[in-house]
Formats: sequence, structure tokens, C-alpha cells
Amino acid sequence: MPHRSFFLGLFLLLLLLASCKGGEEAVPVSLDKRQEITARPQLPAITYAYLPQYSHTESFQRHQGLVEYLAEETGLPIRQVFPDTFAHHISMFGQGKIDISFSNPFVYVKLASRFGAKAMARIVEEDGRAEFRGQIIARRDNEAIRSVEDCRGKSWVAVDPSSAGGYLFPLGHFVDHGLTLRDFKEVVFAGGRQENVVLGVYAGLHDLGTIREGSLQVVANKIDIDQIKVVATSRSYPGWVYAYSPRLPQEAADKIRDAMLKLDYGHNPRHRAIFDAARFIGFVPSDDRDFDPIRELNTKVGLELE
Amino acid sequence: MSRYLQKLVHSLRFRTKITLGVTLMLVFCGLSIGLILSTMSSKALLEEGRKRGLALTSGLAFRLTEPLLAMDFLQMKNLIDNVHDQYDDVLYIFLTDTRTNILSHTFSGGFPVDLLRINPDSRQPQPLLLTTERGLVYDFNARIVLGEKTLGVVRLGLSRSDMDAQIHQQRIISLLSTLGVVSLGVMLALWFARTVTLRLNRLRESAEEIVKGNLDVQAGSSLEKNCWEIMACDKRGCPAFHDARRRCWYLAGTLCPNCQGKEYPLKIESCRQCPVFRYNFGDELQDLAEAFDVMAVTIKNHIEELTEREGTIARQQGLLKTIMNVTPDFITLQDKELTYRFASKAFCDYFHLDEEAVVGRTDFDIFSERQADLNFHEDKQILLTGQPLAKEITFKRPEGQKWFHIVKVPVHDRDGSIMGLLLSARDISMLKKFQEQLIQSQKMEDLGRLAGGVAHEINTPLGIILGYTQLLMDDITDDELLENLKIVEKQAKVCRKIVADLLGFSRHSPSARAAVDINDSLRDVIQLVEHAFFLHRIRIVYQPGETISPLIGDRERLKQVWLNLLNNAADAIGQDGVISVRTRQASHGRIEVSVADTGGGVAADHLPKIFDPFFTTKPVGQGTGLGLSVSFGIIKEHGGTISVLSPPPAQYLPENLAPSGHAGPGTVFIVELPPGGRAEQ
Repeated sequence: MPHRSFFLGLFLLLLLLASCKGGEEAVPVSLDKRQEITARPQLPAITYAYLPQYSHTESFQRHQGLVEYLAEETGLPIRQVFPDTFAHHISMFGQGKIDISFSNPFVYVKLASRFGAKAMARIVEEDGRAEFRGQIIARRDNEAIRSVEDCRGKSWVAVDPSSAGGYLFPLGHFVDHGLTLRDFKEVVFAGGRQENVVLGVYAGLHDLGTIREGSLQVVANKIDIDQIKVVATSRSYPGWVYAYSPRLPQEAADKIRDAMLKLDYGHNPRHRAIFDAARFIGFVPSDDRDFDPIRELNTKVGLELE
Repeated sequence: MSRYLQKLVHSLRFRTKITLGVTLMLVFCGLSIGLILSTMSSKALLEEGRKRGLALTSGLAFRLTEPLLAMDFLQMKNLIDNVHDQYDDVLYIFLTDTRTNILSHTFSGGFPVDLLRINPDSRQPQPLLLTTERGLVYDFNARIVLGEKTLGVVRLGLSRSDMDAQIHQQRIISLLSTLGVVSLGVMLALWFARTVTLRLNRLRESAEEIVKGNLDVQAGSSLEKNCWEIMACDKRGCPAFHDARRRCWYLAGTLCPNCQGKEYPLKIESCRQCPVFRYNFGDELQDLAEAFDVMAVTIKNHIEELTEREGTIARQQGLLKTIMNVTPDFITLQDKELTYRFASKAFCDYFHLDEEAVVGRTDFDIFSERQADLNFHEDKQILLTGQPLAKEITFKRPEGQKWFHIVKVPVHDRDGSIMGLLLSARDISMLKKFQEQLIQSQKMEDLGRLAGGVAHEINTPLGIILGYTQLLMDDITDDELLENLKIVEKQAKVCRKIVADLLGFSRHSPSARAAVDINDSLRDVIQLVEHAFFLHRIRIVYQPGETISPLIGDRERLKQVWLNLLNNAADAIGQDGVISVRTRQASHGRIEVSVADTGGGVAADHLPKIFDPFFTTKPVGQGTGLGLSVSFGIIKEHGGTISVLSPPPAQYLPENLAPSGHAGPGTVFIVELPPGGRAEQ
């Protein structure tokens, strides 16, 4: 009997203890003890910018590996910066806030024309070519658009006025087929984002869109890209180009170009990882003459470079 | 203390105990569960708050990635301020880069540098609880990560006061809910206790009624439907039919086919399948109450049977006791050790003992050692041999010779062995006396016949002698001779009177029958002797009875009887005394005449012989001893009886009898005559 009472008492005690809360240790901190703090200035470094055709995070993730490699390989401090728009990219280059620019050939010819940018290397796309094309897309169920001519009088969403694959190349294609900017119901720009063009067409906000080749795969995990059809594809033009500011010492530019050309997609796993992140597979040496077809196209469609 | 508590608990009513127990249990369980739930919900609320803080911080960290990459301070500030302004409990937010440069924050008037030294690593468990001037604050640390690269850190301070207020409110609600539930539970417990104890109280009251002797109780509730209604049964011979108090499954001999002729509890298994059982069967308490009712009814029946039997036994015992008390026989029962187990009242009275003084004792405790020893050996002999004993014993007592007829019988029990001794003793003194009187009567009869024969034979020659003597007297002139002849004549007359008396005694004399008024005949005789007696200062008190019916008899002879009796009384008194004469109508129309005197009385030895002829206590020459025997003969001839008692009972003596120096014990002669004075058959 005493045992039974003991266990009953123990049970009740445990029940009560179980019902009691466990305490949390609090760290004493004063919120009133304050002082003015200023950020330490960043160390000087060579700035590297990727034309913002994607979000900053996408840009960062694609190029952070390459930037780190170049810094490591050249021994130079290199820092990636993130302009918000194509125009911002161009203006930052002009302001000297960008030393190395990775841009489409259309922007490059603008930079070269305006600020004396010098091409130092072109990339080799994942399909093995150092050039690329633009594409005209529409919803697959849009029966009104079957050919380039059907695009007349339709709403067109392009990537950016400075976009090569997403605006200039398709515009050249339209001009070749007798359509000028006035033949469209409207021409709107998606803030330099390839994804926004695809999503705008997919949502039905616009009848057709123009993107650089390969951009559909970027949104494959966001929408059903089978609902999108490619109405036409432009001819190939020289691909994306690395250019350096005339302010950058030639020696540094050479080191960087050498380091780029040194990257080996086929045999070095680390280099391959860098390329995989950047979504291309190699570099080829390049100079300003490679981009004359762009200048010609620009002249053809009547756009200004200055 | 515990004993006091135990006593207190024991003294509580059952209903209070149930209510108290359930209340305590509810309070304990309610408080425990309430505390547990309150703690759990408090923890859940805190956890929710922490998750919310983490979500806010993580979301902010995600949204800050782009402006951080672009070093867009305005957007950073907008994002931080947006969250800070949106939620009142967000006390602060600040953003640092990888070098702990503060890129943006919500503080105004400087930055609390203490925050930089705590919670630096987001890999530590988050959040960290801070105690600040603004109360408890949860500090959340979320890294801004892109791929594997950390771009910066967002820190968010979430006040815990709102969470604590919520927890407090929740605890109040929890407490009130618990109290509400407990109160409801207590009310339910009260109702439950009342329901249970109501039936228990009814049971208890029924039990108390039974203790008080009232077996006509009903602890069980009345049924909505009885078995005969459910089964549409009309078997009036069934014991369950119209018995609303007892459940049919408890009753024996029910005629329901479901019962299969079995009795409780054998039939209960089949009863469980019966629709009556299924309809009427209740819980254990109802079962108990119904069983209790059945028990009460059964006990009542048994008690009635027992009472009836007890009454019968008591009547038989009373009867036996009366018989035993009334019987004049001595009856005793002794066990094998000869200890008395029973003694009749006659036995106890005779030996002047109480029954308690006899029962449980032996002869050695009651009688003299010699007598006890004698009885012991005799009784042992009977117990050993099993042979009954019958004997007559006699002994002298102050009141006379006593005779007892004793029978001792061994008593056998069921297995035939002797278990005791029964003694039966009867006082046969009277029988013996009657036997002696019978012998005396026979003797008197024979004597009377002899005397009658002799007198008859003598009477003739005596008449001749008297006749010739009287003839001679007529012829003789000689005076001397004549004188002698007169003596002869006188003596011859004396002889003739004796012969006449003898003939009267032996009823050989003729009698004259007529209606006789006893009172008158007595008065005549009293007047005759009154004067002579007065000379001896003997007073006669005559108390004639009223409404004495006359009888048919010989008036003169009856007078002779009265005269004899009065003379006898006077002789017994001698001088100074009273003779009381009374007549009364006795039972069955008989007339009783009593003549009592205050004389010397009659010795007990003489009483049986007093009516014998020639028996006299008088001196020689003063009596013939034939007076009473002649009176005996006359009364017998009238069909009556004459008896003598000495000393006489008080009712025969006159009241206010003056004490006299010569007064003796006295004697009374009682004559009883039949109505109509029938002749002796």
C-alpha cells in the first residue's frame, strides 16, 4: 500500500513537472547604447559586369565562378558589379564603373562606338558556335501567327532596345521580310529580361515575342514551354563578347584575356564547372572587326549607335 | 494526521465521497491537462512566433539579395523599413555584408553596437533570446546566400511581449475553460452521485426497515412492463404472474417456457436470452436492489413460517409445561452422568426445591448421601443393563404414611444407545388408603351381615324372653322378684335396642319414606337437645341454608342421625363449646349437612375406624360404639355419604368463634344427601 501511494505521488509530481515550462536563457543586450557607424569603403578592384539580361542573382551565379577564376589566375582584384538595365550597363561603362564588360554584340558596338571599348574575346556557345541567333515566338495555340508576315499588326514584346538576340536580330529578320517597326500594333520592351518576354507571350499579354536562341530553356522549369512555338529564327551573328575599358591597363587586359583563353572545357573539370555555370563552353580571341556585321545590321534597321 | 483524515473520509456520506472524489480528480486532471495544454500552446505560440520571425528574416534575406548585389542602398532601406513598419513587434532590422559592415538598419540616433557582438553565426540555433530595455527580444540571424557564397547577414529583432500577452491571454482562457469544464464535471458528478446514492439510500432505508423488522420493503424501482405484459402471458398459476415486486428470473417454479423448469441461479443463463430479462434488466445497483427485494420477501416468508412454527412449538411447549406442572406425578430426566436435565413441578414442590436448584445437579447435591448413593447404584444398574425398573416404596411422613410407585426407564437416542434415565413416580398413598377403606368397607359389610344375622336370630328369642318376663311380672307379686324381673326386662330391652340398632346398621329394619325438610328435622332435634347441652355450656349455632329442597327419606331415622351427631359433638366437647350446624345446597342438587364441634377432635389413627360398629373412645359403659355406625348405615340407606374431618376446615366453624380454654382441634361430620333421597342401590 505505501508503495502504491509512493508511485501515485511520483506520477502526480511528474505530471505536474511535465506541465511546467522549461525556461529560456536570455542574453542581456542594451539597445540604448548606441554609436554612429559608417561602412568601411570597398577596396579598389577591376569591375566585371554581365549585361543584365537576367536577374542579378542569375548573373551572379553564372559568372561568380569565372570572376573568382580570373582574379585567382591573374592575381588581380576583380569584383562583379550589377547594372540594373542595358542602358545602366552602358552608362556605367561610360562612367568607368565597369572595366570588363560581357555583353551582346549590339551593346558592344555601342560601347565601342561611344566609349572606345575594345573586344578581347568571344564566347563559344553551348552548341559549339561563337555566334547566335534571335527567335520570334508566339503561343502555340495562336493560329493567327504562322509566319513572319502574320506578325503584322500584332503586339510585339522585345527584350530591350539594346538587346541583340532579343531585338536587333529579329528586327533585321522582320526588315528582311518587309516589316518595319511601324507595321506592329505595338513594340514593348521587357526590361532586358529574356524570361519576361517568354512569360509575357505565355500569359497572352502579347501576340509575339523575340528572344535570343536558347532562352526558352531558361524558363523550362517555370512554364510549359511546349505551349510556345518558334515562328522564325534569324540568321547567325557574332556571339557575346568580352570587351575592356580603355581605362584598364593593357597589361591587365592581356592577363585577363590570357586567363580566359587558358580555360579548357574539355579537359579540366574545374574549368568545365566554371563554363557550365556561365552557360558557354569556351573563348575564342576576338577583335573589333568581328562585329562589322552587327554594324551593318544596325544600319539596315535604322537604329542609332550613338 | 492520516488516521484523522481516514476517519474523516470514513465519516463522510457516500454521495459526498463520490462528489468530492470526482471533484478532486477533475480539479487535478483539469489543472494538469490545463497546465499541460497551456504549456504546450504557450510553446506552440512561442514556436509560431519564432517561425514567423525566421520566415520574416529569411524572406527579407531573399529579397535583399538583388539590392545587395546591386548595392542598391535605397532598395535595401525600403525593404527593411517596409517590414519594420508593417509589424509593430519587429523592433529592429539591420543588414551587414560579409565584412560586418552595416549596410542598412532601422535604428535612428546611432546603432546599438552590442548587437554586433552577439548572435554572429546563423548556424547557431535561432533565434537568440535577448533581454533588453524594451523587454525580451528574439534576435534572428539569416544569411543572404547565393549558391555557396554568403553575401551578407540580415538581423531582425522581434519583441516577445506580444507573444507573452498572447500566451497570458491563452492561459486565462485555458484556466477559465478548465474551471468551466471542472464546474460542469462537478455538476455532473453531483448528478451522478445523486443518481447512484438515491438508489443506495433506498437500499439502505430498506435495510434499516428490515433491521426494524419491517420486511415489507421495495428497494428496486417499479417496472415499466412486467413479464406477463411483455410475454402476453395469462398463466395465473405462475408465481411471477402479477408479482410486480420480484423479478421473474429470481423466482422458482415459474411457468414460462424460457425458464425450462429450472430455478435461480440455474435458469439465469437461459433468462439472459429472454425478452423479459433484456427489457427489464438494469445495472448492478438495480440488480442488487431487486435481489434485495427478493431476499426481503424470502426472509419475510421464512420468518412467517418460522413464527408459525415457533408459535406451534411454544403452544406445544406451553402445553407440555402445563402438563408437567399440573401432573402430580414426579417426572425427572437425567443424562448418562445422572445429572438432572428436567424435573417436574410436583417433584420440585415435594422436595421444596426450585427447578434451577435441580437441573444441572445430581442426587448427591439434592438428597442425603445415603439416599443419593442408593439411587446412584440403582440408576447405574439401569443405564448399564437397559432394563427398566418399577417399584413401590413407602415411608412415614408427619402427614401420614406415604406410598410411591416409581418407574425408571432408560432413554434411548436415535442410534439406540442409552442417553439418559426417565423417572416417573406417583403418589399412590390415596390409592393405598382407598384400598384400605375398601377392605374396611368389605369388613363392615361382612360385619353388618353377620350382625344382622345374629340380631335377627337373637331378636326372636329375645322377644320371647322379654315377653315371658313381662308375663311373669304380671303374675309375680313378690316385690323383690318383681324388681329382679324389671331388671331382666330392662336389660332385655337394652338388648332389643342393641339388636334393633344392629338391624338398623345392617338395614334389616323397615323404614318409612316421605318428603323430609332437612332444615325442619334439624331444628326439631336441636330444640330437643339444646337445653340439655346448654347445661354443659355448649352452644349450638344453627345456620340453615336457604332454598334447601326437601328430599325423600325416613324423617325419624334422619333425626336419629342428627341426634347421634349432636350427641357425639357434645360428648367430644364435654363442657364449654360450640356446635355449628349448617345446611347448604351443594352441587348437583345435593344437600350438605355439616356438624362441627370445638371438641377434642379425633386422632388421625381413629378417623378410618370411626364408623366401625362398637368403635368408641368413650369409657366403658358410656357408649355402645354403635351411634356413628348406625348413622353411617342410615345415610348410606338414603344414598348419601358421611365423612369426618379433624380438625375441621375453617369454613365449617362459626364465624367470630370466641376463644375458649377448652377448645380443641374440633371435628366436623359432613353428610351429603342426594336430591330426592334415593334409596341405596
